[in-house]
Amino acid sequence: MTTTPHTAPPRDATESVFSVRDLWKVFGPKAERVPADPELGALGATELRERTGCTAAVRDVSFDVRKGEVFVVMGLSGSGKSTLVRCLTRLIEPTSGTIAIDGEDVLSMDSGRLRELRRHRAAMVFQHFGLLPHRTVLDNVAYGLEIQGVGRGERRERAAEFVTKVGLDGMEHRRPSQLSGGQRQRVGLARALAVDPEVLLFDEPFSALDPLIRRDMQEEVVRLHREEGRTMVFITHDLNEALKLGDRIALMRDGRVVQLGTPEEIVGEPADEYVRDFVRDVPREQVLTVRSAMRPALAGEYEAGPALAPTATVHEAIEAVARTGANARIVEDGRCLGVVDHAGLLGVVAGVPVTTGRAVA
Amino acid sequence: MTATVTPASARPSSPAAARGVLRVFAGHRGRLLCAGTAVALVLGAVFLGGGGWPASLVADPSGPLDRAGDWIVDNRDGHPLFLYFLGHISNAVVVSVRAVYLALLALGWAGVTAAAGLVAWRVAGVRLALTSVAAIAVCGLLGMWVPTLQTLALMVVAVAASVLLGGLLGLTAGLSDRMGRILRPVLDTMQVLPAFAYLLPVVLVFGIGVPAAVLATVVYAAPPMARLTALGLRGADAGVMEAVASLGATGRQRLLTARLPLARKELLLGLSQSIMMALGMAVIASVIGAGGLGDRVYQALASVDVGAALAAGVPIVLLAVVLDRVTGAAGERLGAAPARRAGTGWAVALVVTAVVAGAGRLSGRLSWPDGWTVDIAEPVNGAVDWMTAHLYSGVPLVGGTADWAARFTTWVLNPLRDGLQWLPWWAVLLTVGALALLIGTWRTATTAVLAMAAIGALGVWDPALDTLSQVLAAVAVTLVLGFALGVAAARSTRLGRVLRPVLDVFQTLPQFVYLIPVVALFGVGRAPAVAAAVVYALPAVVRITAQGVLAVDPAALESSRSLGATGRQQLFQVQLPLARPALLLAVNQGVVLVLAVVVIGGLVGGGALGYDAVFGLAQGDLATGLVAGAAIVCLGLALDRVTQPTERRDLARKGA
Repeated sequence: MTTTPHTAPPRDATESVFSVRDLWKVFGPKAERVPADPELGALGATELRERTGCTAAVRDVSFDVRKGEVFVVMGLSGSGKSTLVRCLTRLIEPTSGTIAIDGEDVLSMDSGRLRELRRHRAAMVFQHFGLLPHRTVLDNVAYGLEIQGVGRGERRERAAEFVTKVGLDGMEHRRPSQLSGGQRQRVGLARALAVDPEVLLFDEPFSALDPLIRRDMQEEVVRLHREEGRTMVFITHDLNEALKLGDRIALMRDGRVVQLGTPEEIVGEPADEYVRDFVRDVPREQVLTVRSAMRPALAGEYEAGPALAPTATVHEAIEAVARTGANARIVEDGRCLGVVDHAGLLGVVAGVPVTTGRAVA
Repeated sequence: MTATVTPASARPSSPAAARGVLRVFAGHRGRLLCAGTAVALVLGAVFLGGGGWPASLVADPSGPLDRAGDWIVDNRDGHPLFLYFLGHISNAVVVSVRAVYLALLALGWAGVTAAAGLVAWRVAGVRLALTSVAAIAVCGLLGMWVPTLQTLALMVVAVAASVLLGGLLGLTAGLSDRMGRILRPVLDTMQVLPAFAYLLPVVLVFGIGVPAAVLATVVYAAPPMARLTALGLRGADAGVMEAVASLGATGRQRLLTARLPLARKELLLGLSQSIMMALGMAVIASVIGAGGLGDRVYQALASVDVGAALAAGVPIVLLAVVLDRVTGAAGERLGAAPARRAGTGWAVALVVTAVVAGAGRLSGRLSWPDGWTVDIAEPVNGAVDWMTAHLYSGVPLVGGTADWAARFTTWVLNPLRDGLQWLPWWAVLLTVGALALLIGTWRTATTAVLAMAAIGALGVWDPALDTLSQVLAAVAVTLVLGFALGVAAARSTRLGRVLRPVLDVFQTLPQFVYLIPVVALFGVGRAPAVAAAVVYALPAVVRITAQGVLAVDPAALESSRSLGATGRQQLFQVQLPLARPALLLAVNQGVVLVLAVVVIGGLVGGGALGYDAVFGLAQGDLATGLVAGAAIVCLGLALDRVTQPTERRDLARKGA
């Protein structure tokens, strides 16, 4: 391969798969002047459209996707999240900024190198599936391999393997039109998996499915991630989905990332009113861990009561405390970190700061 | 009288002011136009006087055209343009038609019948296979085996060429925005021109004969293929295309594995339409030496031999119906079920055809057996004679068909023609412009007026107005019948069900065959031409009207019913106003289709432009023919543009 000059790999790129810095995507005439001019860049959406006729879908976004994590980008419709994920493989050409995959600059890739990236390194699953209606399930799954020039026999064999993996055994010879929505998305998932990509990109993959099927598919993704540990970038507008799947969540609003953090950070320490509003209805006890309800152990509390791991949710702690009637200990490597009691747990559920004080910030 | 009450002021409770303004403009627009036209008419009467197209404004093109024709005839064997380009095309066409014809002959009647049945079986199922075999057998039974093969051979070559040409054009128009913008108006216009207009230019270049016939057919049949190809390629699901791109497909892979397969429904529809157009043209092109079935009809009509015309007409009808059904069924089957053993099926079809053809060869019976024919010309002519004797005239109370035709000519066609020809030329232009403006935009109005003026400048003002009078009469009859039938079919499901198969068949028939029954019923003249035009255009008008009325928003209908509207009120206050776009489209289609047949009516005594064109072809007087052809094109353009509704009006209607 050619040695592409690494145009300034941004900061520490050792652990990150995707590294995005100062990314802008502006639609409209002479779009490049908007990120260049701080005054224009600071305008609101309506003012910007009036002044320039442009729409900024992604504004000055920076983040890293770490190897092996599920990185969720979450926001309401029109927040720019779908545009953002398409910029990663330049399905939409970004206006300015840098994107690096494994330290290699994506924006300076020529078309051959870019195809290579799309064929082997990042595969995408789409909201509306994007299946070829004239091909069978098997040939749809094999399509990515076909594009790479893999021979017919080999690609069908590999495709069959992934058809099994997503649970579509016996449907190899159906057409997409003969499948249900959930089954179609399984085909889309298998097609993306079949090319063995480094990163899986999901663009609201389950939004078009009904709730029960959606839960099945979410569990499927969790299972896949557990089994293979593949890096995933997951776009969704569903907060519960984001909290369920995400190792880290970037919350977007009007093209900007308003908060980036673990589910617990987003729910426990909302960055602003918008996020607070957003997470208000989240069952906090299921997201927050016992650390947020913990207080230092008093003497005599080190040995008594049920033991919980620090990663346990508040919900689990409530169950333990209610069952035993005693305060629960938080134990890590045999060492007691602290104690949760009724007051602390109720405080978390109510969203009121715990007054007993925290042992660990 | 009511000039002070505009629609807007009658309903002052209009919610949005902008819409009100739009409606006031739309309401006043008609009045302003009428007033302006009236003033212009008065002024014109004072300053320009009456009379037909002034001789001083005629640029007689027959001199240069004659010279061009002579030059071509003189140089056909010597000039490099013919030797190295047109000559090769011509030879290639002759050779390929000949090759297909010989191949069909070599298959023998048994082989051809078997092949037709098996192909129909593979693409459309058993029922249509049996229909195809029966249809082919009837062609043979009627003693039309050789002409049928000639027509088929010509069509095979023409369809192949037009699919190739149309497909390539469609590909460029579908992939490049600029080509799309350039080609669309050209293709749109080509589709509204009467088939007849295509004959003369090719004859000028290639002379009368098979090459001219094939090329005219190709030019006529390629536009639908090109249009639908472009449409299909542009309509590819964006989500699928994005997914394909996201997997790293190259441009070539995107086209071959995604964009083209996604467009296969449109491609097949384009093929099907091309085949039907090619059949229609291959029959009409008998006028320029196509031979085959059309030629038999043409010769028979020339001597008013209805029996012989029918014997050749029935195979045309059967071919049309079978081809339409088979391609239609193929379209419906597309993507329905994965064809597992497709290869085996085709192999079986091939082997069976080969065996049958071989058996036919060995038994020495390649041509359709002479003994197996039924002569229907005699009995049919007997029946026609009986009709002539008993139905033409003097039937008590109702009169005879010839009487009707004569009365229609005397009371409708003659006054209309004389009236149009009496009108001062500028008044005609003004009326055309005002009408086009009323329905369309400045651009359509300008095109229409310029096209009419071109007719005058060509020096064929009077015959063109004669043709126009026939068109107007036929359109009026068509619209009255068509709207009534269409509304009835939309309101009564039973009638709709009964009408549908009839319309299906009638819409597939080539224009040419409509001349046969009208000659039998009404003899020759202008009235039969008008009758044929009405019958040809009626199915399309009925269908569009019915679809338009049925497509009316059920919620609007329900709300009017809940307010207690009677059926009549629903029809006139809800269904018809909301179906206005469809009705306008029906008018446009009606006009285009009527013109196509009225022009062909020149073959059965319709006179006017159609006769000039036929005369020019028959006598080798290309100047007359070409001028008539050009005038037909101009008339077609003008009529289409006058009746062409546009997006701007759509917007205005949405606002109102």
